Amino acid sequence: MAQRDVKNRIASVKNIQKITRAMEMVAAARLRRAEQRIEALRPYAGAIRRMTRQAAEAAGNVPALPILAEHESEERVALLLVTADRGLAGAFNSQIIRAGVRTAADYQAAGKQIVYYATGRRGVSSLTFRGTEPEQGFTGFTERPTYANAREIAHCLMAAYVDGKVDRVEVLYNGYISPISQEVRRETLLPLQQATILEAETPEEADRPTGHTALVEYEPEPEEILQRLVPDYVEISIYRALLESTASELGARMTAMRNASDNAGDIITDLTLEMNRARQAEITQEIMEVVGGAEALS
Amino acid sequence: MARTKFPVEVLTPEGEVFNDEVEMVSTRTATGSIGILANHTPLLAMLDPTELRLYRSESEIVRYAQGEGYLQVADGRALILVEDAIAPGQLDAADLTEKLRAAEDAYARAQDGSEEQRLAARDRRRWEAFQRIAAGA
Repeated sequence: MAQRDVKNRIASVKNIQKITRAMEMVAAARLRRAEQRIEALRPYAGAIRRMTRQAAEAAGNVPALPILAEHESEERVALLLVTADRGLAGAFNSQIIRAGVRTAADYQAAGKQIVYYATGRRGVSSLTFRGTEPEQGFTGFTERPTYANAREIAHCLMAAYVDGKVDRVEVLYNGYISPISQEVRRETLLPLQQATILEAETPEEADRPTGHTALVEYEPEPEEILQRLVPDYVEISIYRALLESTASELGARMTAMRNASDNAGDIITDLTLEMNRARQAEITQEIMEVVGGAEALS
Repeated sequence: MARTKFPVEVLTPEGEVFNDEVEMVSTRTATGSIGILANHTPLLAMLDPTELRLYRSESEIVRYAQGEGYLQVADGRALILVEDAIAPGQLDAADLTEKLRAAEDAYARAQDGSEEQRLAARDRRRWEAFQRIAAGA
């Protein structure tokens, strides 16, 4: 390669490196905020849990709600794939799609029908491309999901389950472990398990009194309060999945962009070496010519 | 005369929005409007969308557009858990009109007596309440 070509390539790789560096830093800054939002959900979720246990104790049991009831036969399974609106995050989106397709194949082998739901443009477009268009797609918020987004998805899935359009709902998302490590998680959302509702998060919490005494007033009756408290678990589960997925997306993008920047650095080193060699060869050539010319004259 | 103050915490899934001492809390439960003063008996109530008012004093009132939620009074403290707690100034009237229309459409589309319809009705009620708050703000 001529010296000038190598020089141009170095310049363009340097520009790419600047972009990937910037993307890495943006992802790192947003990741911190995403982590804080996972933390911010904790006190709310804990308080909902405690209130549910208090109301359940007052009511004597958990009422037989339709979202708790298993359907008699399980024919149609809904899969909610949580992906991102954007790519450039390594295997983040593709590993969810792959896990979803594999899960679907297992269910189909058992003679069940699959209904897809997806969040994130990547998931919606991948499914559509495969000819398995999602029943409903939710897009435009994966960088910063709000509780209202989770509520919309939860209502859509709960309505489908209660109205008998599907007999089981599972969610697949990238669980957040650390900025450099995410894992695909698969959880059953519906039917909701009664054990999940009444289970305490920590052993200490289990020992703590729920706050129910004969003196507590309930408005309306505890059974009625439970009818709304229990579906909140589905909303909270989806919200947590969305938040973890966002943190995972940013973590994955940070890692992917750091690798890209490092690779760009390697390419720049190699190209610089190549350019120096070319320059050296040119100089050597010129000296040879000068020496050759001088010799011819003498 | 200043009333006795008591601690109140307002929590949403997106974090804490209020944590301070107030003289009175005014909100709406599934059975009607309710005002909570210090030393209220222990209570667990289900809240409906309305304007939540936290009276720091007679004249200093903190207001939020409150979504569905729960109110717990225990040990002299009030804990308010709501899905949304938005300052009235932050409400976007155009956005609310659109959301309300979407909820009405969903309600009209859904089969009578279905869960889908019931949930759409709840959405509609929330956006209607928020719209009223936005109009008053």
